[in-house]
Amino acid sequence: MTGLSYPEPKPEKPSGARPRPESNPAGASAPRRGWIPATTPERHQQLWGLLTIAPALFLILALTLYPVAYSLWLSLLEKHSFFPQERFIGLENYFYLWKDEEFWTSLWLGTVYSIWTIFFQIVLGVAAALILNETFVGRGLVRAIVLFPYMIPTIVAVILWKWLLNDTYGVVNYWLLAFGIMRDPISWLGADHIMLSVIVMSVWQFFPFVLLSILARLQTIPPELYEAAKVDGASAVRRFIHVTLPQIRGILFVVILLRSIWMFTKFDTVWLMGEGAGAGRFIRTLPVYAYMRTLTYYQAGLGAALAVIMFAILVVCTVVYFRMFREEADIG
Amino acid sequence: MRKGALIVFLVLVLGMTSFAWGADKKVVRVWHTETEPQTIAAFQQIINDFEKLHPDITIKQEGLAWGDLEAKLTAALAAGSPPDAAHGQAVTCASFYAKGLLRDQEDIAAVIGRDNIWEPVRMQCFHDGKYYGIPHSPNVSLLIYRKDIFKAKGLKQPETWDDFIKVAQAMMERDKDGRVTRYGLSLPGTPLFINILVGELTRANGGRLFDLKTGRPTFTEKQVVQVLDFYKKLTDTVLPPGWLGHGYLDTFANLATGKAAMLYQGYGRGAGYIEKYAPKGTGNPEHFGVMVKPHGPSGKRTAAQIDAEPWMIFKNAKYPEEAAEFIKFFFKEEEYIKYLHTVPIHLLPTLKSVQKSPAYQANEMYQRWREWVEMDYYYFEKDLARPTLIIDWGDLKLPFGLEILGSGIVVDMVTDAVRGMPSAQAAAKAQARAEELITKLGYKRW
Repeated sequence: MTGLSYPEPKPEKPSGARPRPESNPAGASAPRRGWIPATTPERHQQLWGLLTIAPALFLILALTLYPVAYSLWLSLLEKHSFFPQERFIGLENYFYLWKDEEFWTSLWLGTVYSIWTIFFQIVLGVAAALILNETFVGRGLVRAIVLFPYMIPTIVAVILWKWLLNDTYGVVNYWLLAFGIMRDPISWLGADHIMLSVIVMSVWQFFPFVLLSILARLQTIPPELYEAAKVDGASAVRRFIHVTLPQIRGILFVVILLRSIWMFTKFDTVWLMGEGAGAGRFIRTLPVYAYMRTLTYYQAGLGAALAVIMFAILVVCTVVYFRMFREEADIG
Repeated sequence: MRKGALIVFLVLVLGMTSFAWGADKKVVRVWHTETEPQTIAAFQQIINDFEKLHPDITIKQEGLAWGDLEAKLTAALAAGSPPDAAHGQAVTCASFYAKGLLRDQEDIAAVIGRDNIWEPVRMQCFHDGKYYGIPHSPNVSLLIYRKDIFKAKGLKQPETWDDFIKVAQAMMERDKDGRVTRYGLSLPGTPLFINILVGELTRANGGRLFDLKTGRPTFTEKQVVQVLDFYKKLTDTVLPPGWLGHGYLDTFANLATGKAAMLYQGYGRGAGYIEKYAPKGTGNPEHFGVMVKPHGPSGKRTAAQIDAEPWMIFKNAKYPEEAAEFIKFFFKEEEYIKYLHTVPIHLLPTLKSVQKSPAYQANEMYQRWREWVEMDYYYFEKDLARPTLIIDWGDLKLPFGLEILGSGIVVDMVTDAVRGMPSAQAAAKAQARAEELITKLGYKRW
């Protein structure tokens, strides 16, 4: 309630028209939404408010909505990636993709990659956060070291892993052979194992994000809750299930959502791991395929259609996720 | 107060002067594929010499990985900011020519001498009677082998692919438990190199990849299917199991360190790696030789790939004329030799006058590995070498080579075959995809 009074709005239609239901039956003293006379300070405030958020709105429009809208438009065209000619073909690109075996393979590979990387990031991230929430000597140092993979540039991480996993001179095979775990070296970057390698590498690189988020939440849980549970005789597992998990479910909801979006659209790690090898085909996820259609097949329209499909899949999954975990969403 | 005003005035004057100076300079962007530090340094020296003579021009070089070039060029073209000059594959040059993106280089050819351009490399980007690209330097994909092992085993040079497999198997080595310690062959699994080898093997098998009249892919023809069969046999017998994950440099590491006995896609550049990484006393031509490649069951002559990226100049770039001036300068003998000597066994001269030049030949490494260079010349002089995916020079008239190269269709065909799909089926699948791509690009003529 502002305490200010407003003049009665003029009726929209002459008598005889059905009166609109009053949204605020409390009377004229209550503020109303809608048109405000030009002379009121509120109007100035509103205008000033609009002006101040205008740059941000402009940036959102220019950097988010315009590219999305342009991608949508591009997906309706048959367009060479750098040749200026284009032709409107409606939904033909989408029909083409529906029948495109490579598209379904990429979708499958992308799903496999996302699900496994998210699963292991969460398991590893939560476990590591629980450990690092305990008190032990050198905890600060360990916390700093554990964050290291998330801080290094992807290209450095990929080069490092490619070197470690190289089947002829890589350290991983060297140790596996030296300890007699394997008889023959494994081709980690070959067709059979490249998906496993990229999953392991991605989990290693991104689990610190989960760790950091969960650890931050763990540190705010009142210790009294654990003390009470202990007094009631709860084991460590039961304390985790009945105290920790309910406390972190809000942040877990957000973390799973963010990581799902990021892993499903992950391009750099997958591209760099697969680039320069024929085995890259076996980790050709949807973002990589979209890139290839645009910049190696030079079919910008099809590339855009793939990007739109990815966007649509993410929107649908996010809505379903929000509906499934409404309560967690509220907490998150 | 006065002092403050003077400082402000001086800053403004200096700022405006430097702005004006910066604005007058023409910045010419040059992309190339020679990324070795010594080549970058030599190229920079050529740039410095050029800039001394042309104070209004600044040349900015950028060395790009060979496999990245096409994607980066395309992205730059899509963004409307191509470099002024760049290296490119012959198919790239053909594709860009077909799209009207290239400035002709007749003036450059005239300055360096049309007859001075070595015949085997003239066709790399020569369309409708004009040069649209002059190669910076040619060389050939070589069959490099461990000469010492070959001799010790008393092996004979293979004539056919079947002979080759037998030789490679004979050069393999196992430990007492039966584990392979040295494979017969190492191949890069890199998409570009698979494209290169498929073209090369198809030619060595008397086949073709496209119908010259209609442009229709011919992947299902017997000669191409036999290429896939050869890949399968190599994978099953003499290649390391993870070869599809190996890069180009991995193959040289395999050869130099004794993990593999032969390379089918070796280049002169490898001599440097061998000298550097082979065990002491073995990094020399006595241990690492080159031999003529075999031919396939349906072919009579062998074939190799020419690695000779033409310089391309983009007519819609900012300073195409200045880029042309720079390329003329680059080919000046004293400048050009500096460049060639940075990787002397790999960067062979495009210009006949330089080939004969004592200054060019007076290079220790060149003399040491002369046997390799002579093998390059063997392929060139017998007309056995063609660019990537090109079987017949007429293939360069097809405007979709770049798209086929980039699409990975040929690579997928090979990976399908070596992963167990019958060769004919893998070929049919690739054929259908290639036809679809060509149709979608609007180049279907059958």
